[in-house]
Amino acid sequence: MKRWLALAAVIVAVALLPLLLDPRGYWIRVFTFTLLFAAMAQAWNIVGGLANQTSLGHAAFFGIGAYTSTVLLLKFGISPWLGMLAGGALGGLAALVIAIPTMRLQGHYFALATLAFGEVMRVIANVWTSLTGGPGGLSVPFVPPSLAAYSFKLLRPHAYIALAALVVVTAIFEIIRRGAMGYRLRAIKQNPAAAEVIGVDTTRVKLQAAVISGALIAMLGTLYAQVAVFFDPDTVFGIASISIRIALIAIIGGVGTAAGPILGAFFIIPLEEVMNDLLSSRAAGLSQLVFGVILISVILWRPRGFITVFDSLRARLSRSGAS
Amino acid sequence: MSKHHSLGSTGVNRRALLSGTAALLASPFVLSSARAEAAPVNVGVIMPLSGPNAQFGINSRNGIELVADEINTAGGIAELGGAKINLVVADATSTPTTAGTVAQRLITQQDMTAVLGAFVSSLTIAISEVTERRDIPLLTMSFADQITGRGYKNIFQVVAKASVIGKAQFEYTAAIAQAAGAKIEKIAIMYEDTAYGTAQANGLRAGAKAANVEVVMDDAYPLGITDTTPLINKLRGSGAQAVFPVSYLNDSLLIIRTMRQQKLTIPAIGGAAGYVIPDFEKGLGEFAENVLSIDTSNYDLAPQLTERFRKRFGYFMVHEALEHAVCLEVLVQAIRKAKSAKAEDVAAALRGAKFTGGWINGMTGGAVQFDQTGLNVLSVPLMVQWRAKDIVTVWPKDIAKSAPVWRS
Amino acid sequence: MSFLQAILDGLLIGGVYAVISIGLTLVYGVMGIVNFAQAEFLTIGMFTAWFAWAFLGLDPVLAAPLSFAVAFAIGWVVQGQLIARVLSAPSVAQIFLTVGLLIVIENGTLLLFGSQFRSVTTSYQTISLSLGPLFISIPYLIAFAMSLACGVALWWFMRASWFGRAMRATAQNPAAARLMGIDTALMYKMAFALGVGLTAFGGAVILPYVTVYPGVGGQFVVLMFTVVVLGGLGSVAGAVVGGLSVGVIQSLSSLFFPIQLQNLVLFIVFILVLAVRPQGLVGASR
Repeated sequence: MKRWLALAAVIVAVALLPLLLDPRGYWIRVFTFTLLFAAMAQAWNIVGGLANQTSLGHAAFFGIGAYTSTVLLLKFGISPWLGMLAGGALGGLAALVIAIPTMRLQGHYFALATLAFGEVMRVIANVWTSLTGGPGGLSVPFVPPSLAAYSFKLLRPHAYIALAALVVVTAIFEIIRRGAMGYRLRAIKQNPAAAEVIGVDTTRVKLQAAVISGALIAMLGTLYAQVAVFFDPDTVFGIASISIRIALIAIIGGVGTAAGPILGAFFIIPLEEVMNDLLSSRAAGLSQLVFGVILISVILWRPRGFITVFDSLRARLSRSGAS
Repeated sequence: MSKHHSLGSTGVNRRALLSGTAALLASPFVLSSARAEAAPVNVGVIMPLSGPNAQFGINSRNGIELVADEINTAGGIAELGGAKINLVVADATSTPTTAGTVAQRLITQQDMTAVLGAFVSSLTIAISEVTERRDIPLLTMSFADQITGRGYKNIFQVVAKASVIGKAQFEYTAAIAQAAGAKIEKIAIMYEDTAYGTAQANGLRAGAKAANVEVVMDDAYPLGITDTTPLINKLRGSGAQAVFPVSYLNDSLLIIRTMRQQKLTIPAIGGAAGYVIPDFEKGLGEFAENVLSIDTSNYDLAPQLTERFRKRFGYFMVHEALEHAVCLEVLVQAIRKAKSAKAEDVAAALRGAKFTGGWINGMTGGAVQFDQTGLNVLSVPLMVQWRAKDIVTVWPKDIAKSAPVWRS
Repeated sequence: MSFLQAILDGLLIGGVYAVISIGLTLVYGVMGIVNFAQAEFLTIGMFTAWFAWAFLGLDPVLAAPLSFAVAFAIGWVVQGQLIARVLSAPSVAQIFLTVGLLIVIENGTLLLFGSQFRSVTTSYQTISLSLGPLFISIPYLIAFAMSLACGVALWWFMRASWFGRAMRATAQNPAAARLMGIDTALMYKMAFALGVGLTAFGGAVILPYVTVYPGVGGQFVVLMFTVVVLGGLGSVAGAVVGGLSVGVIQSLSSLFFPIQLQNLVLFIVFILVLAVRPQGLVGASR
């Protein structure tokens, strides 16, 4: 009961934050992207955390979502909300297509195969100029503001939509984790052979996880496109800008937990911004260098993510309570 | 001075609170030159200072800093009571979304008169999405057609568009060959698959088509290619009489060297970028001699000014440095004209007026004038040719400093 | 004829892919770590060779041992101070530690050496041998020969020297190796340093035809992974087969498809090979 109250308090506090920020300003933009990346890392967490398959190619589905809704809007004037559903369907389908050949791969092999798939999608987006605009990228046209058209003058509504998306994706993650599917995924994670023996259809469960994760992150691609307004293949299909980044966020926070990606996003995204703000005008490369050093330090300090700080805190508290 | 600092550091809601008072305070500041020091004019400089295009971003920053320092040492902007130019430099990185966020940050933290940036077209477009919504003028030398093709009111492109440059790359070449008594019937186009490469290739293709010249090879290749042998194998089999590569430096060196290896001596006419920087000659030595390239401006059009760049930074004033210097020159002239450093006043002063003199002499057309879309209508591309360690303007004839050499 | 030429070019370039990737597979084979920062040691090797050329007048090919030594020393420290601490951590932590290292090295070189593209000029850079209608690029040939020599030396080292055998024993069973009196921590340092040294060596030999700048390693990351996975992660012989295959696939694909699709073809082959033969083309199943 207490935990639910605490959770509700946090959500209310976060929900109030956009009201305090300058609606045309910088911090609300950072806040919106932080929420979006938290949601993206949470979607990744379904495959990367629950199924224990470290995907380094989630940009593939993300980009599909961004392009689907934007192309539908540009060519047919279809509302991004509908485009988001179409993008989600295509993203899920792509996840299925790539999951079938790669599902049986273990650890690093899976990671590298998905990395290559992300690159395949990036090359296709670059080449298929008639559909995607090619390397020149796409601009989301500005239409009269309305919720139905997913168009706003200020960033505040975008922040709330991103927050809602984070809540929804986190809820889906928790439902899966606590439900039968989460149980099966854990069984596979611990011992695939044994899981098979006790009657878990491992193929089916892994495919389900892959499709749900792919569809969710594709839908978030639409949200990203609507906030960023302009993107090109390297932005939405990028290894460093998307695939590695969302995996990093989940890992820094704590893989396989609902709080992990949120902690990770609220650490990584603002950190990048602060570094860029403080150091980028001093010497080229300095801000990224410091960012890398901080990253290495955090991983050495907490190889299992920030979430373990709370675990050890709790352990210490209960110990002191017992004595 | 202090007013601006407090603006930058106070809380997030200060805009609403202070916008009224700021407007009231601004006018006495502008008018009274008796004050010890006028408020500085904040100009955002957003460039890729890290990542694959860092070199071009740094060149651009150098050009801007040179002009700003010269204006400041000369007493600042007299019309604003000797206001100094305060450059706020930030790294655009290589991701458009980050560039947009950086623009948002600069505009939010300080009152910006204008933003300059960001060399790479995709970064410029992302920044323009922010500056347009905040009514801050953005001056750029990025080539892409989309930049002024979206009907935005606060963007100003000082150079010709990529499609125009590509077309000129072909047409000037045809004219130079004709002047030398040669005729081109078959050409090859190879370009990196970036916004810049594809847009310029479109122009090349259009130019060839209009002149009824056959394009026997037309290949995009992936950015960051490390082996150009397949390209040159294909070129060798194509029977082209001239090749038009559009690329950054690494590819340009690879392409020229591999052509030499395969004893291909047809003229290569570069598409600016990697073909017009000092490192091109450093990498190729004698093989750089007489290589032609299209360009958007050249330092030999205003040697007395651009020599100052060479003196300070140790290399010739590359076109992105020169054009960004022109961006700042035009901006300062607009501020002088508007007698205001407010973004909307400056934007209004930029539209329609004709700017001349100073760094603008380095541009073709001898002046800068923006049309409704923000495109500088007076800029035309030019052709340069490598001579020893320098690049010399050789076409069009009226501005050429030397006659072109054509060896087919 | 263009077919033969493409095969030839592919083999020459593939030999170099092999040598820069052997280090990656060695590190994986001995420690089970996928090093995302491996390609950054290519950058380090290239910068070392460039400075040796610019200030000592040394040909990059002759500077290759120097590049090897510099990267070896850096690798030794990195393994001892950083990688060793995460050997028992989850594999994702290992991966992202090396990602952090990648960011640090790329931006460290940017900070130290600036962003400009640096290239060397050598006498043989623009020369090729004519073999009937075929062209053999001299810089490619030299790089290939150097890679071959390097591969043979490594093979000898792993087979014949005590260190090599101890390293292989550590790879197969660290606990048993420890019982036999092998200092496994030393072996890990040795393997990592050797691995990144080889990649740096490869960086020096390609300098005559590739320009160096802080981000150059990034151009090779995915390519190197493709090479080692095609050959079988952890297999040194596999990296050679993988390197040659990648070179030939890239070169041949440009005969049939637009050159823009070069990497697309490569990655699709890569995913298919993984799906059918996850242990790689030659790799024994681990």
